[in-house]
Amino acid sequence: MTPVFGSVSISLAAGFSILSIFLLLFYIRNGDYRLFLSARRMAIVVSFLIIIATFILVNELISSNFNIDYVAHHTSLETPTLYKFSALWAGQSGSLLFWLFILSVFSLITIYQNKNRYHKMMPWILVVILVVQLFFLILTTFITNPFEPTKADFEVANGLGLNPLLQNLTMAIHPPILYLGFVGFTIPFAFAFAALMTNESGSLWIRSIRRWSLVAWLALSSGIILGGWWAYQELGWGGYWAWDPVENASFMPWLTGTAFLHSIIIQEKKNMLRLWNMILIMITFLLTIFGTFLTRSGVMSSVHSFTQSPLGPFFLSFVIILLFICAFLIILNLSNLKSEKRIESLTSRESGFLFNNVIFVTLCFAVFWGTIFPVITEAVQGTKITVGAPFFNQVTIPIGLVLLLLTGVGPLLAWRKTSTENFKNNFTLPLIIALCSLIVFLLIGFRGYVVISLMLSVFVTISIFMEFKRGVYSRVKRFNESILTALVTLIKKNRSRYGGYFVHLGIVLMFIGFTGAAFNMKKEFGLAINEQNHLDNVNFKLVKLWPEERSNHFSWIAELLVTADNGNIITSLRPEKRIYFHLDPNPDRRQPHSELDIYSTMQRDIYSVFSSIDTDNNIAFFQIMINPLVRFVWYGSYILVFGTLIAMWPSNRKKLLLS
Amino acid sequence: MSQKYKVILAVVGLSLISTFWILWSSFNPVNEKALVKFISVGEILDSNSNERVRIGGIVADSSIIISPSNRMEVYFDIKEGASKLPVRFVGARPDLFKHGAEVIVEGAFFNGSFNADMLQTKCASRYEGDLRDAASYKLDDINI
Repeated sequence: MTPVFGSVSISLAAGFSILSIFLLLFYIRNGDYRLFLSARRMAIVVSFLIIIATFILVNELISSNFNIDYVAHHTSLETPTLYKFSALWAGQSGSLLFWLFILSVFSLITIYQNKNRYHKMMPWILVVILVVQLFFLILTTFITNPFEPTKADFEVANGLGLNPLLQNLTMAIHPPILYLGFVGFTIPFAFAFAALMTNESGSLWIRSIRRWSLVAWLALSSGIILGGWWAYQELGWGGYWAWDPVENASFMPWLTGTAFLHSIIIQEKKNMLRLWNMILIMITFLLTIFGTFLTRSGVMSSVHSFTQSPLGPFFLSFVIILLFICAFLIILNLSNLKSEKRIESLTSRESGFLFNNVIFVTLCFAVFWGTIFPVITEAVQGTKITVGAPFFNQVTIPIGLVLLLLTGVGPLLAWRKTSTENFKNNFTLPLIIALCSLIVFLLIGFRGYVVISLMLSVFVTISIFMEFKRGVYSRVKRFNESILTALVTLIKKNRSRYGGYFVHLGIVLMFIGFTGAAFNMKKEFGLAINEQNHLDNVNFKLVKLWPEERSNHFSWIAELLVTADNGNIITSLRPEKRIYFHLDPNPDRRQPHSELDIYSTMQRDIYSVFSSIDTDNNIAFFQIMINPLVRFVWYGSYILVFGTLIAMWPSNRKKLLLS
Repeated sequence: MSQKYKVILAVVGLSLISTFWILWSSFNPVNEKALVKFISVGEILDSNSNERVRIGGIVADSSIIISPSNRMEVYFDIKEGASKLPVRFVGARPDLFKHGAEVIVEGAFFNGSFNADMLQTKCASRYEGDLRDAASYKLDDINI
């Protein structure tokens, strides 16, 4: 297939989506069902055209057709096939097409799943999806077309290739997973929008969007964590989160999305907070588009410097227009969104959820504020004031700790009102243990936020275990089950609740990991052979230093013997200083790369980077870091993923298999 | 007071406190690294201030000098337009630091040069540069 077909496909898709939107709007006006049927078919065609265009681009990437500008700029003959494939989302126009591809797959799933459901809402759901598709189709057709031919008056023999830093499996899969999350929130948004337009209040559609939101949330969480994990393993600055605008762009919808996942429970169970949920899901969706604006516009100075592009104004206008439309429609339908019931008590589960929401949204606002602060100060004062990680830490740590407290308190509160009796039963043990741990932590010598964070972690963990224990024991008593069977059935019967507790447990572990960062240590030094230096109570001795030539790079390898103060050998680390394309006649194309080495235990990570080498005197320079408790962050994230999977696993899977 | 108002009061109170906290922090940074002015090379050369600032620009051609005694110490010039600023940095240099690289430094200006304690390069998502034609490109040179 020639690339022309790709271009034609996306243009055709744009045309069909306009047509389909019009047919749907006509159908909504006059109710002629045939209009809806053809509009739906057209929506399917739009999605298939996009999918075809994506496959064409992938095919061109893999077959290295350098006549296409995108292929020539993002791959080369030497690029391994896997990375030729992942080049699909390595650049701007390709990633927009990839975004469309995911949305189209989601659109097809939504259409198929709801073939015979939601007759009133479906037209609006399709309108929303099609409008979003149309927006991206316009961008890929007119602004940055991925099928643009190469602008060169010579035969392009080879492409530019992919940065070796990005030739890493985690790096290859982290953007698409993040995209799944970003794009995934379009579907719950479409449902919410449709419910608003049709005044649908049943709880059935809420279950649908809860499942979708969970999928999107899981993808977003995994994408964020993978990004952090990659930065920690590859970049060599010793951290996993830098509060960079691009990171914040993915964190903001995560925060509001998490709030939404909580408050939607109230709507499902009590039909309350309808207005609030509508606002939350709309904000979450808008933040995903705003996030794309942040990453693609070049407004923010970020280490993730994507090429500056003309896309910024388009995204910003799209966000602002959508914001106005959403606000207008919400105000118009305000009376429909009133909840019949009110929260009855300050000490109810309902208020617990409400406070959790307030905190999540505040946290999101804090991140938003810090992210756009440079732009605001530049507009107001004329000087740009950049916001560093210390600012974000200063603002978000206390808010995050309040959130951690609520994670423990919320599940212990009873629906409607918590009686004094309940209070005593549920809170006494966790509180006593937490206070005991507080004394222990103070005696160890911890101070400040560290003590609070660790104490709250203990409190939340105990309260989660008590929830499990209560559930299990009541089953053991009532049905005479063994403890293990009781535990399994308990989780099976209420997947979202107990899955949620697992997620909470994961978050607690991650908080413990974050707390460890308060004790990070760092030192830079140079060593000749057999010389040693130390950081804290760990000694580093350079025992070997040798060069090695490998297939696509040249490497200086250092062997560091790591010993404890008492002389016990801890490990040996082998950080490398590599130079990719070392034979390239143009020195600017030679690419240095520090391959770091980490010795990791639950207690701490010993992190070594080979920074530089003085070949005349054979002195190697290292950056050494000791980062306590980092593993808790990764283990916490495994549990988080596990818990989310439990929560979203279809509960009637067995029935489906039997039938 | 009815429970309903208590709930509303608590929510409003919580939001107000947090908003106040966020705004307060923006005017009372925890340390000098929290909020840093981003100024141009020309501006810092004109001013006489020793305030901590952040500066962005291109590493000037053939200006990088790595100290022979301590290879963690580097001297280079940042250029932005016609202005050039001499910079001294001690620490681990990012892999992408080289002549022509786009860098951001943070530190303070004194004694005629800029003492940076932070050096960041923009991470290129791909190779920059023009496409090469068949004549200028030898596959054997790169892939052995």
